[in-house]
This record gives sequence, structure tokens and C-alpha cells, in this order.
Amino acid sequence: MPSPIRILTAVPICDGHDSAINTINLEFIRQGIEVIYLGYHRSVGDIVRAAIQEDVRAIGISSYNGGHIEFFAEVVDLLRKKGADDIKVFGGGGGTITHEDAAIMKRKGVDEVFFAGTSLEEMVKFVHQRYGKPRTKRRRAKSSDQQLVHNLTEIEQAFASGRKRRTSNAQRRTSKSETRVLGFTGPGGAGKTTLIDELVLRFLNRNPKGRIAILSHDPSVVGQGALLGDRATMINSQDDRVFMRSMATRGQAGGLSPATHDCLALLAGSNFDYVIIETVGTGQEAMPFQENGTVDMTVLVMNPDYGNRLQLQKIAMLDLADIVVVNKSDLQRARTAHTEIEQRLEQNRRSQQLIDTVAKRHRDPGVDRLFDLISKESVASVSDRRSKEKRLSQSAATAKRRKK
Amino acid sequence: MSKLGQVVESVEKYNNFVLDQVKRARTDEKFGRELLGRWNDVKAKIPVTRTPTGLPLPRLALPEINEPGEIARYLFGEGLPGEFPYLNAAYREMYLEPVREIESFEKKSGKMDRKITQAEEPTRLFSGLMLAEDTNERFHYLTRHQRTHRLSTAFDGPTLYGIDSDADGVFGKIGEGGVAIDTVEDMVRLYDGFDLGSPNFSASMTISGPAPIIMAMYIAAAKRRFGPKVAPKLRGTIQADIFKEVQAQNETIFPIEPSLRFLTDMVEFTTREMPRWYPISISGYHIGEAGSTPVQQAAYTLSNGFAYAEMFAARGISVDQFGPRLSFFLDCGLDAEYIALARVSRRIWAIGMRDVFCAGPKAQLFKLHTQTSGRSLIAAEFKNNLTRTAAELVLAYMNATNSCHSNSADEPFTTPSEEWIRHAAHGQAILLEESGIFKHTMNMLSGSPGMKAVERAVETAILDEFREIERLGGVLAAVEERYQRSQIQNAAHRYEQQIYDGTRPIIGLNRYRDGDDEIPDVKLARTPRSKQQLQIDRLAKFKKKNAEKAKRALDKLAEVVERGENFFPTLLEAVEVCSLGQITGRLQEVVGRFRPMV
Repeated sequence: MPSPIRILTAVPICDGHDSAINTINLEFIRQGIEVIYLGYHRSVGDIVRAAIQEDVRAIGISSYNGGHIEFFAEVVDLLRKKGADDIKVFGGGGGTITHEDAAIMKRKGVDEVFFAGTSLEEMVKFVHQRYGKPRTKRRRAKSSDQQLVHNLTEIEQAFASGRKRRTSNAQRRTSKSETRVLGFTGPGGAGKTTLIDELVLRFLNRNPKGRIAILSHDPSVVGQGALLGDRATMINSQDDRVFMRSMATRGQAGGLSPATHDCLALLAGSNFDYVIIETVGTGQEAMPFQENGTVDMTVLVMNPDYGNRLQLQKIAMLDLADIVVVNKSDLQRARTAHTEIEQRLEQNRRSQQLIDTVAKRHRDPGVDRLFDLISKESVASVSDRRSKEKRLSQSAATAKRRKK
Repeated sequence: MSKLGQVVESVEKYNNFVLDQVKRARTDEKFGRELLGRWNDVKAKIPVTRTPTGLPLPRLALPEINEPGEIARYLFGEGLPGEFPYLNAAYREMYLEPVREIESFEKKSGKMDRKITQAEEPTRLFSGLMLAEDTNERFHYLTRHQRTHRLSTAFDGPTLYGIDSDADGVFGKIGEGGVAIDTVEDMVRLYDGFDLGSPNFSASMTISGPAPIIMAMYIAAAKRRFGPKVAPKLRGTIQADIFKEVQAQNETIFPIEPSLRFLTDMVEFTTREMPRWYPISISGYHIGEAGSTPVQQAAYTLSNGFAYAEMFAARGISVDQFGPRLSFFLDCGLDAEYIALARVSRRIWAIGMRDVFCAGPKAQLFKLHTQTSGRSLIAAEFKNNLTRTAAELVLAYMNATNSCHSNSADEPFTTPSEEWIRHAAHGQAILLEESGIFKHTMNMLSGSPGMKAVERAVETAILDEFREIERLGGVLAAVEERYQRSQIQNAAHRYEQQIYDGTRPIIGLNRYRDGDDEIPDVKLARTPRSKQQLQIDRLAKFKKKNAEKAKRALDKLAEVVERGENFFPTLLEAVEVCSLGQITGRLQEVVGRFRPMV
């Protein structure tokens, strides 16, 4: 089975009309298309950067606030300039785009403009027909980032087509790599995306030249579409120093995609200061790759509303996470949650950290603390500690075996 | 229980109170006689008017009842126009033509000496295009026949998002869909030639995210033209509705909490210093346009209103001070709910304000601006839009709206052109002045059995929505959980589906459609590049001129915000030397940027 078609949709800058695009997104997903939704009020630069990083086949722009001729043309031009003109552009704007406008826009390189009254079926059919065939030969990448993008797509396609079934052995370079890999997991709605975006803001401010990569996941079923919407809310991560890739899980349990491991390994060896991997899931599964050392530090993000304290016993990640974050700690139940989780962590007898945050709040001190904890020095010490723990448990096991 | 839960209870309690009064009127003979007496008295005092053909009609029509129970149900349950709970109208006479050729009891009793002031025209047309001077010209064109000048201002995208015209990638958006405003100098140009301090002038400004900054620019511009004492005389409305932005319209620029704080700062200032200004227009229009059902529109608008009331009261502003300065804005489409949506809203608001917030009569009024539904207009066979808008206007005035905007038929393609704006304005004049539907008699179309049925169904459904919001912890908590957003999105999706599968007939689109795609011959109002460049040049000049002062003003503003003081007085100083984008940017450094919800 070929990879689902990936497209990116967005609403232009200074335009908040998202009603049409929401409906269209839903229909695309239903018809097997993976949609990376960038949201409304998005600049040309943000749209093009995201499209390139996500390596989509096309960008769909829904514009209702005028200025569409210039905006669409700027998107096409910037793609061309970045050597990414194999990413196509289409869009619409109800009645605000006239037939005359559309003719100009097409001359400037826009594939198609839909008018008011176009059925959803027609749009879906267009996307399948025009962008359904996989790209055959790709031009040489213009930059190392673009090469990385192509390689990630290769990996995804290899898994989707069945050419590749099993993840490679850990390809991650050894401890010499400067890159730190942080895993974020936790139930949906806990605020992982917001939290990561706030950490990104602090990172960008603290390290004027640093670069960061984010691999985010959203659930999907094999052969079906998905809405990959994390980017829409990540206002601080729209930056040339942030490389983000959204993946659909494509039927794999555990909150990751079949291709995640290889993609992560590739990113981890690609000169970023940090690679953040965000997974979907309830936290009842363990964070994968922790065992083989691909992830240097894991953060479990919890919502204070997890229910009964007995639920905590079922969350395996509470045993494994290096840091547990109780986000939304402005909620009423937060204090109880903190105490209950604290007790639960004490059972583990590891030096796990518990932090309360309100990620939605600007300059939240809890997030500041978390940022200090994941900064490089701390990560290194966690890795050391963990390998020490591992050695200890190994030697204990050896000791046991000897006794036998 | 939040105040919203208490509102639900108060409406239920009031409905029971009405039933009790009905029973009492039937069982307590003295009470029954009193009511009957009052009823006959009211009827006797109704003046008589004559139509152009000489037909006498009462200026107020009442149901033909003479049984005390039914009289109680009417007087307590609906109220006469202008009386609690204001189901029929917020004011006694609304659009009636002035008492000129009428025989009134007042005339007989010799009270006609009293000067009769004619009400303001309810027509208020929304406009804004290109640069300030272009919009100014349009304003003069629109008001050239009006006694009173009621302007309504649309801003372009960059202004709505609080950014300057010279920001990256917004060039093509300058002056599109509204007027470009970057500085106080633009604001001076925008209302040039109008007497801002006059009792016959009012300005409405449709902007929410950066509302306090734009408000400050308006005040500063007025002071530049009319001196420092003009502020208390300023009349008008600024939208400033943060909740509906987050729920539907997506033009928020600061995170929710600081946005609400800035809003409250502005309300605190204007209720004290500008007693004739409406510092917020609690808007369902954009909720409706984003695709909500009519009931969702009314329920979210009202609940947002109660949440604001709770917030302003918590700041220590008295309810009788801010209550009369709240105004509302609803959409009016073609669905059956619109027969009574605003009527029911007015009643719920009055009961909630009186019984939960202890508001006096002036603070109980749901003062409403209505706009016909832009979403109901379509590009295919666009002249049909005239009929759609006309039908919506009838519904809006049946609901006794205080002011109204009628959409232009060419709206699906463009900022309205003069030709179609004229038709839209004439549509209102035809209804109010030419036709006899609204000018002779109050209640002309009120109180039909069908309308009653809609009222009951709509009220029940609105209260159900309130209960759900209450369960989620109140308006703010529900907003943060995306409750209203997801409800609106679902409704929008269903609406689209219904159009595609034909279960919602749209004439000329999915029914009776001609084979050809009609390419309408409309003149597009597009902003020429030269004007866009002119705006940027002006801004550059302003920034250069004020560079030093701007820095100091911004520093001071940031400090005040950090300290948690009311920032509005400092903002008033800042707009003299800073642009909109400079102020937004600096404030965002302090309080953060809004994180979009999807």
C-alpha cells in the first residue's frame, strides 16, 4: 500500500476564517488524506517552511480576507526559491476570489482555485488525481535540511509500501553525539504540545544559534487519513531554527508510527541540539526506545483530572519517566493530583522529578523549572544515572544468576 | 454555582412566578380586578394614528384578552414594549414615525407642548475600505441623507490582528476588507468632517483583539480635533468581545486572561470618563457566521455577556454603571428560530441582570444591533441576495432590534460597492419608511401563535446550553476546553453537509440552478498598490518622527502592565507617539501571544 497523500492546509495571515477549511479538512481525512493543518493567520514564510519540513505534496490555502493574488503568488515564489517547487499550491476563497483573479493566480503557478459551490467530492477527487501518484525522481536537495526531509520521506514510504517492516538496529551515534533526545508522552489533552512549544520559546531565547527538532505524532488507522494539527497551536515553533515533522501513527499501537524509530535515529544524528519526540497515548505504555538508549530523558505530562488514584497504578510511564509534569496546575484538583503522584513516585525509589506547570500561562515559573531540568547538563546527568542504574541492575541480575 | 447557573434558576423561577400570577389573577378577585383595571387603562391611553389612506390604527397593538389570568400572563410574561421583561421591545415606541398627525390622549389633555424628539435612525451601515480618507469619503456618502450620523467602521486584516501595515507579508492585505489604521493620524483622517462630540454623531468600531489600543487612538484623535474636554461627550461602540473571538472569529492577539484584563481596564476607564460610550458589543454575529445554530448563537452570546458582567462586577464597577453600557450584536438569518431569537434573548438578559446581578432598569436592557446574515448570501445568482436580505430585515425588525445593518448583495465577492450598498440601505428605508409594517403600530407582527411556539422552544434550548456550560465550570472553563468552538464547528459541518446533500435548499445553488456558472458583473473594490505603498510611507514617517518618544512610551506602558495597574491611561499617552503594531508587540512581550485554538 502506498503512503497516504500528505497535504498541508492553512489560512493566510490576517485572516481568521477557518470554518470552510475545517469542513474541508474533515472531508480530506475521511477520504484517506493526511492533513497537516497549520491553522489561521499564517504567514507565507510559516506556510512554506512547514510544507517543506513536512514534505507534503501540496499546500491548500483557504483565503477569505482579500489579498489572495499576492499571497498565493508569494507562496509559489518562496517554494521555488527554496528549491521546493515539487510542492504544489491550490486553494479557494468562496466568492471572494473571482474568475479573473483565479486566471491570474493560475498564471502565477497555482494549480487550481475552487469557487463557491464546489462540492467537497470535487476537491477530494482533485487531490487524489493530481497528487495521488508518488513522486518519482526528486531533484537534488538544495540544503542539508531538505536532504533530511527527503530522507525522512524515504523512510516513511519504505514502511508504508512494506519494503521495510522492521526497524533498523539503533542507528544512533554513540555518546559522542551532542544531540539530546527528549521523549514527551502523556494522555491527550494534558497539554504536551503547548508545553513543548513553551520550552522551544525558552530554548530559542537562551541559545541564539541553537537548533531543535520535533517529531510529533497523531493517531490514525492504516490506510486512512489523519489530522496532524499540532503545528497550528505551536506559535513559538514557527522558526527557521525549529525543524518539525508530524507523523500519523498509521495503525500502530503505542502512540508511534512504524517509521518512528528510524526517523528518530536519523534526526538524532543530524546536528540538532535537541530532538523532541512527542507521542500520543495514555501513558499506560512505556516510552519506546528508552531501553536501548535512543531517548536520553523522558517526560510524562499529566492532566490533574486523571480520575481515581487507582488509575495511577496502571500508568507504566510513572515508573519509567525521568520527569513527571502535572500541567494545568491551576485546576482545582491539581494539589490532590500532585500529592497522589508524589506518593506513587516514592514507591519507585528513583530520583524522579515532579513539576507543576501551567503551560498556557506566559512565563510560567513551572515551565522555567522544567526547562532548567531538561537543559543539557541535566540531561547528561540523567543519562549517566540511568546507565549507572542499568549497570547496577545488570550486575544484580548477574549476581542472581551466579547464585543460581 | 457560577452566575450562569443562577441565571438558569432565575429564569425558571421567573417563569413559575408568571404562572403563579396567572393563577392568582384567576382566584384572587381583588388582584384580578386590579389587573383588569390596569389593562383597560393602558388600552385607553393608546394613541391613534392614521395611515396614508386615512385608516385609523392604534400606536400599540395588544392581544384581545379581557380575562385577568391571560392579562397577567401577558403583562408579567412578556411585558408591554419598554417594560420588564422586555420580550416585545426594549423601548416603548422603537421605529414609530413621530407623533405628528395623530390624535392622542396627550393632545386632548394639552400635553403636546412637550418637545418630541425623533429617535435616531436605526440604519447603521458597516463600511471600511482602503485608506482612512477613502473610508471617510464613504462615510460622508452614506450619511448624506441622514439626520443623525451613525457610522460603523470595518478594519482591515492587519489592523484586526494588531499589526502594522509594514509588517512582513501583509502588503496585499492593506485596506482589504476594511480600512487600514496604523496610527492616531490615520484615526484623525478617518472621521474627518464629522463632529465627534455631537449628540447626533456616533461611531461604531468593529475590532476586538486590539480594541483598547484602537479605542485609545479614537479618544486621542478626538482630543486632537476638539480639545481635551471632548471625551465625556463621545458616543459610540467598540466591539472588544474577546470570548467570541476565541470561540469563533479567531482575531485574538493576547492570551485570554490578559485580553480580558485589558478589556476590563478599558471598561473601567470608559464607564468612568466616557459615560455615553459602549465599550463592548457582545456579539453573536460572528458565532452565527462561523456556522453555529441560532440557538447556540444566542446561548453563547448571552452566557458571554453574563461572564463579562461577573468580571466587571469583580473589578468593583457597579452593575448600574456598566450595565447600561453593554450592547449586543446578533446575526439574523432565515431559519425559523430567528422569528423570536432576539426577543427571547432580551427577556433572558433582563431577568438575569435583575434577579442575579441586582441591576436597575437601565442595566437590564438588552440593546441590540442586528446584521443580516452574510453567510446566507451566495455568489450563484447573486441578485437573489436582495430577497434573502429583505426577508432577514423583516425578521430583525420583528424582533425590535435597536439598530440594523443590511448586507449588500455583492458581499460574497467583495467589499460592497456603492451601488449594492445603496440597495441595501434602501431596503431598510423601504421597510421602515415606505411600508406600513413598522411605522404605525408597535407589536404589528408580534404575538402570533407561531411566534409564541418559537419563543418557548428557543428559550428551553438556550437554557439547556447554559446548563451544559455550567457543568463545564462556567464560560471561561468551557472556552478553554474548546466547548463552544467544537459545538460551532460541528454545526457548521452539518450545515455544509445539508447544502451538499440538498436537505437545506439554497435557491440557485442546489435547487433551480441554471446550467451556466454565472460570472457576475460587479465592480470590485480593491485597494490599488499605490495606496498600500502610501500607507507604508506614512507609517514610516510617523515612526521616524516619534522614534525617541515611542521608546519611552512603550517602556512606561510595559512597566504599568507588569505592575498590574490599569493600563488604559498610559495607553492613551502611548498612542500619541506609537503605532498599533509597536504597542501590540511590546504588550505581547509582557503578557505573551494568543495560542490559537483549532
